[in-house]
Amino acid sequence: MSSRHRAALASLAVLAAASLVLTSCSSGSKGSDEQAGTRTTLTYATGDAEPDCLDPHVGGNYPQALIATQYLENLVSRDKDGKIIPWLATKWSESKDGRTWDFTLKDGVKFTDGTPLNWEAVKANVEHLQDPDTASSTGYLAFAKITSVTKVSERVARVHLSSPDSALLESFSQTWNAIESPKALKRTQKVNCTSPVGTGPFEVESWKKQDRVVLTRNEDYNSAPADAANQDGPAALSKITWRFIPDSATRYAALRSGDVDVIDNAQPDTIKAASSASGIEHLDAPRPGASNRIELNSGNGPFTDQRVREAFIRSVDVDSAVSSLFMGTAQRSTSALSSVEPLHVDEKDAYPYDQAAANKLLDEAGWKKGSDGIRVKDGKKLTLRLPVSTNQSIPAEQSLFEQLQAEAKQVGFDVHISLLDLAGWYEALGKDQYDLVSAPYTKVGPDVLRILYHSDGIKPAPSGYFANHAQIDDKELDSLLTRAQATVDDDAARAELYRKAQDIIAKKQVILPLYDQQNHYLYRSDVKGLRALPTVSTPTFLDVQPLS
Amino acid sequence: MTRAVLIRLLGAVAALWLVATLGFAVLQLLPGDPAQAALGGPGSQASAAALAAAREQFGLDQPLPVQYVHYLGGLLRGDLGVSYAQKLPVTTVIAPLLGPTLTLAVLSLAAAWVLAVASALISTSPSRVGRAVASALEIVSSVLPGFWLAAVLVIVFATQLGWFPPVSGAGARSLVLPVASLAIPLAGYLAQTMREGMLTALDSPYALAARTRGETRWGLRVRHALRHGLVPGINLSGWSFGYLISGAVVVETVFARPGLGRALLGAVTARDVPLVLGVTLVSALGYVVVTLAADLLVRVVDRRAAA
Repeated sequence: MSSRHRAALASLAVLAAASLVLTSCSSGSKGSDEQAGTRTTLTYATGDAEPDCLDPHVGGNYPQALIATQYLENLVSRDKDGKIIPWLATKWSESKDGRTWDFTLKDGVKFTDGTPLNWEAVKANVEHLQDPDTASSTGYLAFAKITSVTKVSERVARVHLSSPDSALLESFSQTWNAIESPKALKRTQKVNCTSPVGTGPFEVESWKKQDRVVLTRNEDYNSAPADAANQDGPAALSKITWRFIPDSATRYAALRSGDVDVIDNAQPDTIKAASSASGIEHLDAPRPGASNRIELNSGNGPFTDQRVREAFIRSVDVDSAVSSLFMGTAQRSTSALSSVEPLHVDEKDAYPYDQAAANKLLDEAGWKKGSDGIRVKDGKKLTLRLPVSTNQSIPAEQSLFEQLQAEAKQVGFDVHISLLDLAGWYEALGKDQYDLVSAPYTKVGPDVLRILYHSDGIKPAPSGYFANHAQIDDKELDSLLTRAQATVDDDAARAELYRKAQDIIAKKQVILPLYDQQNHYLYRSDVKGLRALPTVSTPTFLDVQPLS
Repeated sequence: MTRAVLIRLLGAVAALWLVATLGFAVLQLLPGDPAQAALGGPGSQASAAALAAAREQFGLDQPLPVQYVHYLGGLLRGDLGVSYAQKLPVTTVIAPLLGPTLTLAVLSLAAAWVLAVASALISTSPSRVGRAVASALEIVSSVLPGFWLAAVLVIVFATQLGWFPPVSGAGARSLVLPVASLAIPLAGYLAQTMREGMLTALDSPYALAARTRGETRWGLRVRHALRHGLVPGINLSGWSFGYLISGAVVVETVFARPGLGRALLGAVTARDVPLVLGVTLVSALGYVVVTLAADLLVRVVDRRAAA
């Protein structure tokens, strides 16, 4: 071997060795800070997708709500009992006919770009959400009834509605309908997406795509929601590093190692492991709105016959499946609404496990068992298509579907599970190619029932999206849900209407409730004061003390 | 020689065109509407007017052949289009991700070569135990699935032992686990191919001749046989690069590192067609460049090829 080649080989070896030395001798930089005393910087790791836009008006999904909660605030919030409480608005009143609402805004509040919070800010935000160019989905729907916002005085905004809306306050409490600086909203969407400006305890300092968003303290903060512990000014934390760690095991490893202080999307196995680990705490904050449920497509296929729907519901033992596959981290639900909704009704008797009854119902409905155990009627097999979105269903839930599939087979259902990515999943729904489906829906308040079960929700939007996957079309239910939305001055009457509506949904047997929408946070024990906002269950760090 | 290089270059251009065309075609076959992807993704409540506007803006209302020609024309000008989801030029999205992915790939390649050369030297040694152990390790490591290895490394070295951070951070220490996840299977594969070349060389008459000249066994392997072993390994460089880039999809996701692989995964999920094509083309370009470079390197190492 010539010296030239030896040199080439040697340099290769040196390069490799150098990389090993480099990597092994540099040590973590955080250890020394921690020993110096308390620290006011915190690292949060989310398992949700990285948003394309940090302004939750644009689109409007949960990953956006998670981070936007740190820098944007709402007119109102909700307390632990579901009561609407003051936030940026100190008080509000509705007119007798329910068509105008006056919101009085907190005095002396400024956005982090210096713009004052006034009636014009409310107007600018409503208009931004209603502007088709914003492409808001979640917030847009919530504000569908607002016709205009006018001035009563500098700090009092009047909201005009096309018809009374009992869900208006709940809509104003959602992070997707948060109030941003009107001056900042005038910038291009591209700019606003990378640095939305609000009144929150933190502001966006920088965003390194695929890696982190750095949030720094708003030193002039003075607009805490009424239920916050910290009512006198800025947060104790000076900086939050918001990281994107998609892999569940890595996220937990980073929490254990102290590289991060708080993680979300903790999976059942991780929560179980964390329960025996020292120094790790668990915050269970189910999302509001609908419970996680399987919807039975009553508009098409075998489920047009109510007896077949009843049979399916009776054929599967959801209780056992939930407790074994979720390792005790999720509670079985028998309500269409999340347990955090004060108006949810437990319809336990509507969803029994009784395979004998299921067999009888299918016999009556004319479905006869074939030689392979699958039932047949008029030469057609009792096949049920269950498209599953792998972006929305966690592994434990996918296992649950498989278990239900095996059990339903015992009475003669042939359930076909197809694992799809989000676009493929929406396409299957849009083309009505499903008999069963689980579709999460987060919204503050019981008005989510109108979106999910009013017959208007069967008609697809131009994008092909529709929310009434059960395709339930019931005049009485429509009327109850419409009246409930219009009942603004009588809480008892409103509760009664929603109770009746939930009774009809249960009686029609179009859903199989599973559990609340799971939302688990794990955090290191030195993070004191972490809580989830009782609106959309996103974490807030306003009350968090310096870490030890 | 010039002619050979020219043919090589033409082949490279053809390969890139093929990748661009295949990518374009495959993405047309996938379900999901790109206009929707541009308006907040599937499930958005986009109005008919907004969808039509988005189609027009991204040229999706044009017939497919027109879109295709448009797209190729853009490529020739170095314009990879605009990401639907991020509303930014694809080149702007990709540029900051090149560095992290290349760092990961180059370090992994270097580590893989060091491991492979060491393993090949041991597995051709006269020591039976050493040979058996080294070749067993080569086989096991070459068949390890990357995602599994990455997960195991996180659990053992980050969670249990706490030696290395599980996620990317300030220090280079956070590169150890991702590099190991990519390098170990590659090293196993490279070592196997190298060993075969070396064994052939050791069986050849000139090996015997060298021994009779007083060359030690160790010297024979290092100075003579290794050169023969290197050639098939270098010939695999293009393939290795492809392996590293596709492996980066998993490794960057598991270790939460920014990079092309993770961008590709996100773009596929979001049906962000221009970004998917952009990442694919950049990777293909890298593959072509590495293959060409490897060809030249082989000519240096193996003079028979240069002749």
